[in-house]
Amino acid sequence: MKRLRLLVVTVLAAVFVSAASAAKKSKELNLFAWSEYFPQEVLDGFTEETGIKINYETYASSEEMLAKLIAGDGAYDLVQPSDYMAEVMIRNKMLRPLDLKQLPNRKNIEDQFLHMPHDPEGKFTVPFMIGTVGIVVNTDVVKEPVRGYKDLFQSKYKDRIVVVNDNREIVSWALVTLGLDQNDITPENLKKVRPLIAEWVKLIKVYDSDSPKTALLGGDVDLGVVWSGEAARLWEEDKKFAYILPEEGAHPFVDVMAIPAKAPHVDAAHLFLDYIMRAEVSKLISDEFPYMNPNAAARALLSEEQLANPASYPEGMDYMNVFRDIGRGAAAIDQLMTDLKSAQ
Amino acid sequence: MNAMVELKEVTKRFGSFTAVDAVSLTIRSGEFLTLLGPSGCGKTTLLRLIAGFETPDEGVVLLDGAEVTQLPPYKRNVNQVFQSYALFPHLSVRDNVAFGLRMQKRPKAEIDARVAEALELVSLQGLEERRPHQLSGGQRQRVALARALAPRPSVLLLDEPLSALDAKLRHAMQLELKRLQRQLGMTFVFVTHDQEEALTMSDRIAIVNQGRVEQIGGADEIYHRPATRFVADFVGQANLLEAEFLETRGAWTRLRLQGGLEVSLPAGAWPVNTSKALVSIRPEKVHVSKAPIAAANVFEATVTDEVFKGAMDHLSLETAIGTRFAAIVANESALQEAIHAGDRVYCGLHTDDLVVVRIG
Amino acid sequence: MSGFDLPLFPGERRPGWVGWLLLAPLILWMAAFVVVPTAILAVYSFCQRDELGRVVFEFSFENYVRVLSPTYLWIFVRSIGYAALTTVICIVVGFPAAWCIARSSERWRSRLVVLLMIPFWTSFLIRTYAWIAILKGEGLLSGLLKYLGVISTPLEILYTPTAVVLGLVYAYLPFMILPIYSSAEKLDGALIEAAHDLGCGPLRVFSQVILPLVKPGLYAGVLMVFVPAIGMFAITDLMGGARVPMIGNVIQNQFFQARDWPFGAALGCVFTLLFVVAYALWQRRSQPIREVRT
Repeated sequence: MKRLRLLVVTVLAAVFVSAASAAKKSKELNLFAWSEYFPQEVLDGFTEETGIKINYETYASSEEMLAKLIAGDGAYDLVQPSDYMAEVMIRNKMLRPLDLKQLPNRKNIEDQFLHMPHDPEGKFTVPFMIGTVGIVVNTDVVKEPVRGYKDLFQSKYKDRIVVVNDNREIVSWALVTLGLDQNDITPENLKKVRPLIAEWVKLIKVYDSDSPKTALLGGDVDLGVVWSGEAARLWEEDKKFAYILPEEGAHPFVDVMAIPAKAPHVDAAHLFLDYIMRAEVSKLISDEFPYMNPNAAARALLSEEQLANPASYPEGMDYMNVFRDIGRGAAAIDQLMTDLKSAQ
Repeated sequence: MNAMVELKEVTKRFGSFTAVDAVSLTIRSGEFLTLLGPSGCGKTTLLRLIAGFETPDEGVVLLDGAEVTQLPPYKRNVNQVFQSYALFPHLSVRDNVAFGLRMQKRPKAEIDARVAEALELVSLQGLEERRPHQLSGGQRQRVALARALAPRPSVLLLDEPLSALDAKLRHAMQLELKRLQRQLGMTFVFVTHDQEEALTMSDRIAIVNQGRVEQIGGADEIYHRPATRFVADFVGQANLLEAEFLETRGAWTRLRLQGGLEVSLPAGAWPVNTSKALVSIRPEKVHVSKAPIAAANVFEATVTDEVFKGAMDHLSLETAIGTRFAAIVANESALQEAIHAGDRVYCGLHTDDLVVVRIG
Repeated sequence: MSGFDLPLFPGERRPGWVGWLLLAPLILWMAAFVVVPTAILAVYSFCQRDELGRVVFEFSFENYVRVLSPTYLWIFVRSIGYAALTTVICIVVGFPAAWCIARSSERWRSRLVVLLMIPFWTSFLIRTYAWIAILKGEGLLSGLLKYLGVISTPLEILYTPTAVVLGLVYAYLPFMILPIYSSAEKLDGALIEAAHDLGCGPLRVFSQVILPLVKPGLYAGVLMVFVPAIGMFAITDLMGGARVPMIGNVIQNQFFQARDWPFGAALGCVFTLLFVVAYALWQRRSQPIREVRT
């Protein structure tokens, strides 16, 4: 019994100490973001300026972020969901409304990006980077024009194609190819796209969301449907890698920054958000990760070549055509794709 | 008797070491031959050459008239009882014994019968279902024997099979093996370093030393007429003395032994035209008495040491001029006068007991 | 601590309270990190989910019904098939290797074992990436073969099932070799000679003597390769281009992309059950001999 009492006292003491330390001004920031999105320079700069230590944890998919956030509520101060994921999180009251007074640099962001479908009033989120999903072609090997999915998924390119390992993406391409709404995930629509995707699956060699450019650089594939950031890096590496937005329809994705409802270091979170919306800081991020920067002030600082990168700043993009949340449709998509991949 | 095993000029080397050096040996059918020698002399290698585990670098091996030099062990009709028994731990006694028969693809009924027969031969009935780890050392030895005998090989090889047994069991097994061999009429080739064992069991003994066979013959011949110094020294104990030829007079030859003692032996026993040779005298042949002895070779000596060995006494003797002898006397009845260290005694050597051993 | 009626073999003693105390941390660890999570998984598998994929406690069999659908059964079969193929190749390659190491001279033996262990000092993921560098179209193997004039177009091994099997065999081979080596080393050479002596040619020596005596090592090796290989999906993803889903990938998907935790739990439970059954059957076949001291 004596031992038990000692144990209880120790535990209580620990709880008090940690609670006490939390009440002080934050010395730490728990950043939970995509794996290739923050240059070390930017993070170090923030710590230098404010003295706040950043704990940077990463994930490779929005769903992973969601799963971990649900499991570890209160562990993170800042998260970086995609547009549709933010939509769901807002609806389920998982995000904390932003204190706009603490974010003066918000005016740097181009206005249209502050009123996107997932967060029409921009109350909960701040756009970080915008990308697209499009077609990359190694023009040294592929001489014919590739304008869209129909041109891409031809039998002559069998086993020379890489795509991102994202089941929802693949289904959306099939939907737009058939002229359907990319967000309309119904059993009927899934049935319609099934044979088309079945054909595509036969032609695809690699599924890779982490680093699809590896396969392209390695020469194992010549074409691919990849994130624009990957395509931009490929173009920087070698101009032979052309980037095309598919004519059947392309969608942008907006990665946003948001503060979880139970974040412990809210003040630090706001400080960081304001920091990365500064023109110079945002530019640094763009230098390393050439996605499309919604920060107009930062864009003004970019070089000609950066702005000329077709993957970073493609023409003819409808920025409102984002992914919406599809709720239970995610499971149906997974079943469909698992089925089709498995049938090989 | 015909030759069951023949080795002709067989040599086996391991790297720069010659284990068997141009050995020629004939083993007769139905005989119990022992290869006797110290550790590392090559006797085990010889056995392995017969079994087929080694292939000679030179020479031929014949079994029952047929050349088998290059033949692997599983094609030779020879079986071995291993020193460590090498029983298959995952098989029962019955399956161990049946192993060779199964490899010969005999019908099941025959296998069962022969297994029972083999176990009966070695008195191990009733233990068929046991596993080797459930048996005592002596029992395992007998299973190994039964296993080797069951396939009825032409030759049975035994590699120091009794060395792991305690003395009493060992003696019993020696007699039993001999009896078995007689009963079966099979050719046994036995390897040991224990000379007593060799003398007890063998029809013939081959003394092996440094890869060569120094002498081969019956127990009596090996013991009483050793052909080389090594044989004389290795088998039994011997007083080995350098002898110098003095003269031959009539039926007798006179020699001077090292240390100065002069002795006589039959003229025919000394090889012609030899001025020096090695002479061997078995200690038990030295007659020791406190009273004077009437014999051809008598000398006086002092007992310098006495070692009591139960039934025997080992005495160390020294003559006045410094020749040293070892003698073994039986501890006789109380009617005799006992001999102790320090006593002055008379020693007698019968002329027939002086054995000339070739030099080298 | 009495009242635990464990069957005893002669020579074994019942553990005293000190014994139980020493075991306590392990038991607690197992309870907290194995038993409890498995129980949670089992409970989840009978639940349903909300739109975020979180668990809603409404009882339903629908997840298990779905698991037993052809798609997922086929994925199980495929995963088991790959694992079986990997195991077989590991045996074919690993057995001779283990045997040679075990029968080599004292001096060489320890060196060879160290060579075998060295890859474990590097991260498994890094080694897999190294394979990618070797096998890719413009990689080392392709370059070498082109240089030697064996092929003219780049090699297409990476992102094929061949690459996956290669990766799996490479990853698990040491787990097959080491237990077999351990058994083979204990084999008395005299037994092999005895077998030869009694009429066994090389093949029969193997089947009659070597194999039965090395079986414990072989069984351990199979268990250490087959069971983990079923769930291994990192290699499928990295070296196979994630083309063909394995059970590990599918389960992971349920918790992330598909947002269907209960279904993932059901898959996981069926998977665990498979292990348990396979393990139980295998253990029965490889019962060790109990030494009876006489």
